Amino acid sequence: MLDIRNLHAKVEDREILRGIDLKVNAGEVHAIMGPNGSGKSTLAQVLAGRDTYEVTGGEILLDGKDLLEMEPEVRAAEGLFLAFQYPVEIHGVSNTYFLRAALNAIRKYRGEPELSAGKFLGYIKEKIQLLGLTPDMLTRAVNEGFSGGEKKRNEIFQMAVLEPRLCVLDETDSGLDIDALKVVANGVNALRSPERAMIVVTHYQRLLNYIVPDFVHVLVNGRIVRSGGKELALALEEQGYGEIEELAGASA
Amino acid sequence: MATPDTLARPEEPLIAGHFSAVADRLPGRGLGWLERQREQARADFRRLGIPTTKHEEWRYTPLRDFSSIDFAPRAIACDVPELASHPIYGIEAFRLVFKNGVYDPDGGLGECPMGVRVLRLADALAQEDPLVRDHLGQYAKAHEHPFVALNTALFEDGVVVHVSRNAVVETPIHLVFASKTSHAPFAAHPRVLIVVEPGAEATVLESHLGFGGVYLSNPVVEVIVGENAKLEHTKLQDESLEAYHIATIDGLQGSDSVYTSNSVQYGAKLGRTDLNVFLNGQNVECWLNGVYVGMGSQLLDNHTRLDHAQPNGNSFEVYKGILDERSNGVFNGKIYVHQDAQKTDAKQTNQALLLSRNATIETKPQLEIYADDVKCTHGATVGQLDAESTFYLRSRGIPEATAKSLLTYAFASEVLERIGNEAVREITERMLYAKLGGGFPA
Ligand SMILES: Nc1ncnc2c1ncn2[C@@H]1O[C@H](COP(=O)(O)OP(=O)(O)O)[C@@H](O)[C@H]1O
Ligand SMILES: [Mg+2]
Repeated sequence: MLDIRNLHAKVEDREILRGIDLKVNAGEVHAIMGPNGSGKSTLAQVLAGRDTYEVTGGEILLDGKDLLEMEPEVRAAEGLFLAFQYPVEIHGVSNTYFLRAALNAIRKYRGEPELSAGKFLGYIKEKIQLLGLTPDMLTRAVNEGFSGGEKKRNEIFQMAVLEPRLCVLDETDSGLDIDALKVVANGVNALRSPERAMIVVTHYQRLLNYIVPDFVHVLVNGRIVRSGGKELALALEEQGYGEIEELAGASA
Repeated sequence: MATPDTLARPEEPLIAGHFSAVADRLPGRGLGWLERQREQARADFRRLGIPTTKHEEWRYTPLRDFSSIDFAPRAIACDVPELASHPIYGIEAFRLVFKNGVYDPDGGLGECPMGVRVLRLADALAQEDPLVRDHLGQYAKAHEHPFVALNTALFEDGVVVHVSRNAVVETPIHLVFASKTSHAPFAAHPRVLIVVEPGAEATVLESHLGFGGVYLSNPVVEVIVGENAKLEHTKLQDESLEAYHIATIDGLQGSDSVYTSNSVQYGAKLGRTDLNVFLNGQNVECWLNGVYVGMGSQLLDNHTRLDHAQPNGNSFEVYKGILDERSNGVFNGKIYVHQDAQKTDAKQTNQALLLSRNATIETKPQLEIYADDVKCTHGATVGQLDAESTFYLRSRGIPEATAKSLLTYAFASEVLERIGNEAVREITERMLYAKLGGGFPA
């Protein structure tokens, strides 16, 4: 589904991603781990099309189509979703209005009929329960006054509503207590399916106890220095990133 | 050849010719107190003249073009059939209508609610209403402001709203000033006096609607909110885009009163509003909410002044402007905290969104504080749409243009949401949507 080849990206003349290769097939869950500042969020944002990051080399294909050629909204309509590490507060736009506008924009792109406000409410009902959103969170402005945990829950709620094919989760576990973490993980797991792929970015192994990955990649200094199965995450948890960083340093 | 004497004397503004043109039809002739006010105002205007940009308060608001317009002292009668289908007519209210400054007996609606007297100013003067004598001209400063002077010298009609002590009036009082001219430019100077007696509560809506043509609308509104009284005063300025709207509102608040001013400005070629509120009592609450949207070459200027004169006063001021194309905004927000006004809490925010490289805003907060135990904050931001917010919306599938109009709309609607009357809120939101050209699903 997703094919990243030798991806290089820079920000403000500093190279952050220095040759990333990653293949993700439908049905798979890939975890990307790595120390702070290694470029995990940069990779996630480049996938979503944030123009602060300049891609200087390589390519990204989504089902064979050139992702880098697409506007962010087209990527979303093509089925990509990024759960932000730092969800943005949008003042003056209600959460429900926003999500319906997003869903209908995507439906329009796909040639499907738009949903009326009434139909939309019926459609999101189950997903509200799944993520335990309060009615208040739906009527308030997007992420405005939400706690850290509520923001993360809201991201996964949006994901559940938009039903993307490729989900990228950036530090969805940060700032969550264990109960909130379970709710979020539960929401994510409910979306796992043979047609859907996920990239779960995290600094800690903790989240991967609840969202069990098929593959784990370690990103250090803009490169994937190691890949393996879920046991790699556990090994990292025990040893920390120190050894692997040394390894990366030696090979750099 | 001109003598040195005539060279030195500034030319008298054309509009001063109205003084003699309308003299014999002004209401309230024979009322000594009013005649003295009018005479003083004529002298004030002759002294002050039409301000140039050399005048500190008019630095960014040039009236050069304005000065050369030969306004007629009264409009040629003009039908305004558009008015009846205007959404503002859908508001449940007790309504009084003026067309081109002239009272329209067929435009009214509803029965005057209990607890309030609403009358034409001309009638109140004819009846020698003591309320008018006690208050009219006591708050608006003709000696300082040339357009207040013009209004005082020339007003022919207007409205008196008098809310009785302890009356709670649910039905809004709606004053509609509609203007339209397909002939020569004209000038109108409506005068409004709102007195809310102690313990009373009321809502007043002021709608200034234009339907084409060049004209000057120069309303002066004096507002007295008595002790423990509450007034929500919402003004919609949607004049025609060739028109001049130069308005003054002077408010005076008694102890424990709450005054909310909502000012929504979409229209006029040049719109200037001076809004002054004097917090003349303890524990006063004052809210100033403003939204203005400029397109084309519109110039929208807001001068606000709050005087905290007594202890424990709270004022919250939020003005937000959207400026597109070649439009210009001016915001000048003064807060004076007098020596006695300890424990004042004053918060002023003004934000402008510039949607084009040719749009400008001149913004100047001015705090003068003479008490030592006060909390005063002001913040001004000028900018473009937030790139992160735009990206967030786009990352969810919303196209860029839609995302931008949505954020622009949301920026201003945050202030419109503060309007207490739901119908007015919805109408001003719909008008905002239309003014911004739509662009996102309603
Ligand atoms: N917008 C930006 N401007 C400047 N530097 C940035 C920006 N985004 C990321 N960086 C830098 O790029 C590096 C990688 O950041 P990031 O991708 O956020 O790492 P991670 O998510 O792995 O912690 C860091 O050194 C960070 O300071
Ligand atoms: Mg990160």
